[in-house]
Amino acid sequence: MMMDNDETKFDQWLQDAAKTYNVPPRPAPREEMWAQIQAERAQGARRIVVRRSWVRWGLAAAAVLLVGIGIGRGTVVPEPETTGSALVYQFAATQYLSRTESFLTGFRADLRAGRVDAFPGQARDLLATTRLLLDSPAADDPRMQSLLEDLELVLVQISQMEAGRDRRNADLITQDMDQRNVLPKLRSAIPAGPVPVRTQGVT
Amino acid sequence: MDERDLINRVRAGDGSAERALYDAHVDRVYRLAYRLAGDDALAQDFTQETFIRAFEKLDTFRGDSALSTWLHTITTTVVLNGLRKVKRFHRREADLEAADGVTGGRRESEPDLKVRLRAAIDALPQGYRTVFVMHDIEGFTHEEIGVALGVETGTSKAQLSRARAKLRESLADFAGEWIA
Repeated sequence: MMMDNDETKFDQWLQDAAKTYNVPPRPAPREEMWAQIQAERAQGARRIVVRRSWVRWGLAAAAVLLVGIGIGRGTVVPEPETTGSALVYQFAATQYLSRTESFLTGFRADLRAGRVDAFPGQARDLLATTRLLLDSPAADDPRMQSLLEDLELVLVQISQMEAGRDRRNADLITQDMDQRNVLPKLRSAIPAGPVPVRTQGVT
Repeated sequence: MDERDLINRVRAGDGSAERALYDAHVDRVYRLAYRLAGDDALAQDFTQETFIRAFEKLDTFRGDSALSTWLHTITTTVVLNGLRKVKRFHRREADLEAADGVTGGRRESEPDLKVRLRAAIDALPQGYRTVFVMHDIEGFTHEEIGVALGVETGTSKAQLSRARAKLRESLADFAGEWIA
């Protein structure tokens, strides 16, 4: 095991060595970027980082395919103003939130009992869906986006736990969850009533 | 010129003040964007987006913090959301196999260390990597990071500690470099 003194030396070494990480190859191209900023402001058009919208819609469609099994067979009754696509995402998000709530509740309970081995794999499954939803219209609602981002952080941490020997990290994860009120926010985001079709993942 | 005066002039529609504000902050914004994105085109996109948003929202800046802190908050939001959309950053951070890949192997030469270090930093979870880059590479304080990322100072410290621990583990076979 590394001694404290070695850790200090490592941190010092790391700070120096890491200076080579992602070093800009040139000074900021001020004039080029300024011209672009002015042009876009003049046009009133906002640059979108992902220019090809098919990427976004492709991901969104994949999200629906992943978690939306059963669409068309579900029993959700749309409100009059709800569009078809909005309903699809609402349905998918509700399923996802329910699965994630079950997963995190189980995680906390099993953590206390010292059983965490199965969780990283399940977290990775849910993480993939989280990211697809973040890139879908489901995340257009700022509250939903914020919740998804919190869940993403928690799931990333769980997915990177090492089976059987990561108790300290597990405790930090639950502390993060508590600080962010993840489970209460998650539970309040799940609509009352029966959850639609349950699909893959959590048992 | 005093920063408050500059902001007031920008709010009044003074184009030269906008440019002065841009010149005062663009280098650090671009550098932070590049450090997080690792790509020049993306860093330029994110920098431009940061200033477009900043000029749009300057009326909402209340002066509770330094303008640079407020700009870095916008920068990190733009960069992290942008990286999520292009899927470069997150695919790497969640890839445990890739993370395992940087823990093995044997050191052969200095260039390999740089490659391994880069891969290890890339493989950190988003929160860890962002805090590590901002604190250990770009020299932000935990207070500044907390404001920029919307987290408690203690969270920033904890994430930095965890980032370093993961890097120590990933780079264990280079121990001679720092113990020497």
